[in-house]
Amino acid sequence: MGGPLRVVHYVNQFFGGIGGEDQAHVGVSVRDGAVGPGRILEKALGDDARVVATIVCGDNFASESEVEASRAIGAELERIKPDVLVAGPAFGSGRYGLACALACKVAQGRGIPAVTAMHPENPGASNARRGIYIVPSGASTTSMQAALDALAPLARRLGRRETLGPSEVEGYMPRGTRRVHDRGRPGYQRALDMLLDKLHGRPYRSEVPYAAPERVSPAPPIADLSRARIAMVTTGGLVRKGNPDRQVSANAVRYHRHPVAELESLSPTEWEAYHAGYFNHIVNSNPNYILPLSFLRDLERQGKVGRVHEQIYALPGVSTPVAVSAGHGRSIAEDLKAGGVDGALLVAT
Amino acid sequence: MISAIYNFALTTGANRVIRGARIEHVCGDPTLSPEKDYAFGMRIVTTALQTLTIAVPGPTLFDPMAPEAAHAS
Repeated sequence: MGGPLRVVHYVNQFFGGIGGEDQAHVGVSVRDGAVGPGRILEKALGDDARVVATIVCGDNFASESEVEASRAIGAELERIKPDVLVAGPAFGSGRYGLACALACKVAQGRGIPAVTAMHPENPGASNARRGIYIVPSGASTTSMQAALDALAPLARRLGRRETLGPSEVEGYMPRGTRRVHDRGRPGYQRALDMLLDKLHGRPYRSEVPYAAPERVSPAPPIADLSRARIAMVTTGGLVRKGNPDRQVSANAVRYHRHPVAELESLSPTEWEAYHAGYFNHIVNSNPNYILPLSFLRDLERQGKVGRVHEQIYALPGVSTPVAVSAGHGRSIAEDLKAGGVDGALLVAT
Repeated sequence: MISAIYNFALTTGANRVIRGARIEHVCGDPTLSPEKDYAFGMRIVTTALQTLTIAVPGPTLFDPMAPEAAHAS
């Protein structure tokens, strides 16, 4: 690979020099070369790298018109074809953090490596779990130099298509991924060392770090159930009898959506459970135990529930990696929203 | 989320958690008579629907089997 590394820098309207909060609505535009913090970034990157362009986008535009912003950022990246995208740093700014993560996601989706930096408590930082490289920074711009100094070496290496080592070594936020490698010593020896360190009060570090679950803000309450559209979702492995859709019984890579508009109840002659994680026999005698259609139809008739949604969603919730499950969840939630659903019952076995 | 292993649901961040009967029959109990089985399942489902009308600050357990059939956390 010859020539200097070609870097595109993503910044918001403030760092792009357009203006403050009053300009947060502006759409995507591009400047040649480095702008604002991009100049410090260029210095931190060293001689063999250049910020060839700066993509600027208003924070409100990025969060309110995500699809449009993604498309515009994607188009610019296609045109410029950089070796790597650097976004931010966003520090503690929530909308900017989400926008930086979005820009990284767009780049990665096009095969362009990307990295950003923000404070670990920035709402955008949860995107580390979605495969985005995020370097932790301070909460305010006073940590600009430190953030760019930490970010630049990773950007350089990603741009050269190097594979980064584990997060604890490289200094980015854990992405929740595992890679097979040789630690040099067998597990029982490492476990005993860890135990001895623990017994002697010496510091030790588990090889299985605890990953705190993502927090989701509770949905606001439904004002009137009798006017609400209610959907049902099950992770109990509900399938059509004989499993014609060929769903797996564990580690599902997809979920199925079935129409139930014509059905009063789930009959055991038409439905069954296919799930490797529990004894399916009882559900096979009454599938409504894991997808309560019969109950909801009665409540719908009595006027206690406005409407039962015409589609149900099913998959076996067992042995699925958290990242994959989160993807299923997001996809189902989007579908429910698009279908005008007000509330959903999720039955988990 | 209706689940018999409700502690899992609470610790993994589900916000409205309704205690289900058992893993193998979450919304009902086949050891009961058909009428009682249905009534029991209905109690679980209506408790779940009620939780959708209540604001919760974060993961909260609702237990249809509690005497009051109300909020148990």
